[in-house]
Amino acid sequence: MEPLIRMSNISKAFDSNVALDDVSLELASGSVHALVGENGAGKSTLMKILAGVVQPDGGSIHRNGKAVHMRTPKEALEYGVSTVFQELSLLPNLSIAENMYLGKEPVTKLGRVDCATMESLTANAIAELGLDLDPTTLVSELSIAERQFVEIAHGITADADVVILDEPTAALNAADVETLNRHIRSLRDRGKAIVYISHRMEEIFEICDTVSVLKDGRNVDSCPLSEVTQQSLIAMMVGRDINDLFPNKSVGTGESVLTIKDFQVSPEAEPLELSVHKGEIVGLAGLEGQGQRELLRSLVGQHQPHAGSVTINSTSLPIPVPQTGGIRLLQSMGVGFVPEDRKDEGLFLELPIGFNTSIGLHSSKSELSWAQGHHKTVAETMSSMAVKAPSADSLVSSLSGGNQQKVLLGRYLASEVEILLIEEPTRGVDVGAKAEIYQLLRDFTDSGGAIIVLSRETIELIGLCDRLCVVHDNTIVSEMPAAEATEHKILDAALGTQTSAA
Amino acid sequence: MIVTFRRLLTGQDSRQGLWFLPLTIGCLGFLWLLIGVDGFRNPQNLLNLITQAIPLLLVGLGQMLVILVGGLDLSVGSVVSLTTAILALDAPGYVLLPTVFLVAGLIGLINGLAITRLNVHPIIATLSMQIILRGITLILLPTAGGVIPEIVKQSVSGRLSVLWLAAAVFVGWKLIHGSRFGLHLFAIGGGVAADRQDTASKYGVADRRNVVLAYVLCSTFAAVAGVFLAGRIVSGDPNVGLLLEIDSITAVAIGGTQLTGGVGSLHGTIIGVVMMTLLANGMNLGNVSAFVQTIIKGSILLVIVALQSRKKIGL
Repeated sequence: MEPLIRMSNISKAFDSNVALDDVSLELASGSVHALVGENGAGKSTLMKILAGVVQPDGGSIHRNGKAVHMRTPKEALEYGVSTVFQELSLLPNLSIAENMYLGKEPVTKLGRVDCATMESLTANAIAELGLDLDPTTLVSELSIAERQFVEIAHGITADADVVILDEPTAALNAADVETLNRHIRSLRDRGKAIVYISHRMEEIFEICDTVSVLKDGRNVDSCPLSEVTQQSLIAMMVGRDINDLFPNKSVGTGESVLTIKDFQVSPEAEPLELSVHKGEIVGLAGLEGQGQRELLRSLVGQHQPHAGSVTINSTSLPIPVPQTGGIRLLQSMGVGFVPEDRKDEGLFLELPIGFNTSIGLHSSKSELSWAQGHHKTVAETMSSMAVKAPSADSLVSSLSGGNQQKVLLGRYLASEVEILLIEEPTRGVDVGAKAEIYQLLRDFTDSGGAIIVLSRETIELIGLCDRLCVVHDNTIVSEMPAAEATEHKILDAALGTQTSAA
Repeated sequence: MIVTFRRLLTGQDSRQGLWFLPLTIGCLGFLWLLIGVDGFRNPQNLLNLITQAIPLLLVGLGQMLVILVGGLDLSVGSVVSLTTAILALDAPGYVLLPTVFLVAGLIGLINGLAITRLNVHPIIATLSMQIILRGITLILLPTAGGVIPEIVKQSVSGRLSVLWLAAAVFVGWKLIHGSRFGLHLFAIGGGVAADRQDTASKYGVADRRNVVLAYVLCSTFAAVAGVFLAGRIVSGDPNVGLLLEIDSITAVAIGGTQLTGGVGSLHGTIIGVVMMTLLANGMNLGNVSAFVQTIIKGSILLVIVALQSRKKIGL
């Protein structure tokens, strides 16, 4: 039988980074299709192409056997493709009802937007999802979970044959996920094709019937979900045995270099404690948006915590750390901060590698001191990090994701920090480079450094870290040695205390 | 009740922005002018206020459309001057009036396309346009003068100006609060203010087309203001639109419209226009020199924008 949607031989490159290479995907009516792969495997790009947000460089899309071109999200909607995007994309200044019907508002005879109709339809749709919200509420007043539900309601109430759910459960608790699953089943029973992207294996096995695996922008396999197990699926995603990817665990830890005490990320949060020792990598795990990021950013002044004390190498750190100059202050204390978004926050994309590396060395000097070339340091760093580039003069924007990440890490290693705070060490990095980066981080701690790392990828945290702290509701709810941790255990801890939180 | 009032007062959690406070201040100022300044009570002066407010209201409405999408139009004053210069040319009214609006539409189209297609920053795109139009205007009409078509003169006389006012308010309301177009402007601006430029387009809103349309309408509003002014001063004037950019931006900002986009209201803009008009009228009656007046106006814009909440739409 002809599938509802057939995407054939889709290719897409962003500048020099190949996001998709000859990828095909078939979606059948009445099925929930899981799309899995590591971050950066191309899942989101593939779905953005189907949603008309991104245009493919090559390949074709057929709907019921007819070739279609989706040049804009609007056209995709007209072809019956509705998307719940991964990043929250509601407009904060519009009401729930206006967000739900944006771009397809009902109008009265006089050409006004028909608010009454819009609001009553919206009220029904969100009530069906078990939410009690006034449709005229501005989205800026909603909590993250409520926004996520509104977004889901927006996607599934659209009269579409294909519903794409890109990590719909990132901000939802277990009960909410159950509500969502009920709706997905009812959509499926009405003959719609649903694409479900998630990193949570339990959810995938709970709700999906077919799975397609992407890796590094290529198809790995497509099969009924009953033919795979969690382990075999993960192996397919990673493309090799997980144990080969990660370096050895810590050989032994030294004295404590960073101690956090009575720390409250926000006024309502329970105080937390954390200490990091020489030679170890500590991971902050947990569901997205639970305060891991705020905790880490509090240390460098990019978030203003409520209270607490922090000691670095027996010097105490003024809390709150000033927002301007906080990062420089920390650097002078031997702490480097590697931000998640290397393109926006980390690197100067249009400047050469040498500049990006040596800026870390310059930042501790006074503004008017001579700027040295630091050519030797740059060259040494490039070779020790195995950055693949023609020379130190190459622009960072011309490098692959993995090499960009190495340049960013190299900046801090070159300026000889002792503690690294890293957000998402391997976001958008291919597997080969991942293994290299993990090894570099381990080498750093083996020579006496200490690292706190934050990652969305639980597998990465388990493999890379020595100790994991699970963060929920702005505090650390559980701590476990990484060697004993499993994805299940972490998720349990991350969700376990959720009964009190709404 | 108390919560509603607090929200009204602070403009928090509202897409209409902070308009209640300027309204209160405006009313107080009006009372003070009524009681404290001699010439103000005069009925003729009060009627003058309306005719003084109309050009600024027209330009301000257009300006508001582009500010809602996170843009800015610095060429409106030049469009006003150019319009009066074209109307002062030696040709019949039925030729000149359509020309004026064609030219204005074309100017808006160029502004809009430069911004959406060529990714020129709105300030630069419209600043260039301002200078270009100023040159063209001075070529057409080096000094104030010329004859304005009879039809234009008649259409702005006396009581008819109230009609202009009503029409401006109605069209403004229709565009901003009474149509899908208006809602889409808020949506586009909301995305821009939240640093997610393409959000509205993900919902199927034709964002570029609407932005271009906003700039076309902005220039068109300015042209209407130019026609009105030409009729009032009964001649062309290459400098009549000077500073209207600043005045219109200030009026819109006073009315609670966020210059980052996505937040604002028609009544806010009307309040802003009234306040600016009262201010100018009061200063004229009080014999404040024109130079000092520009200093005061500039300072007001600076202060108002500095006071606008920097938090993006969380508000």
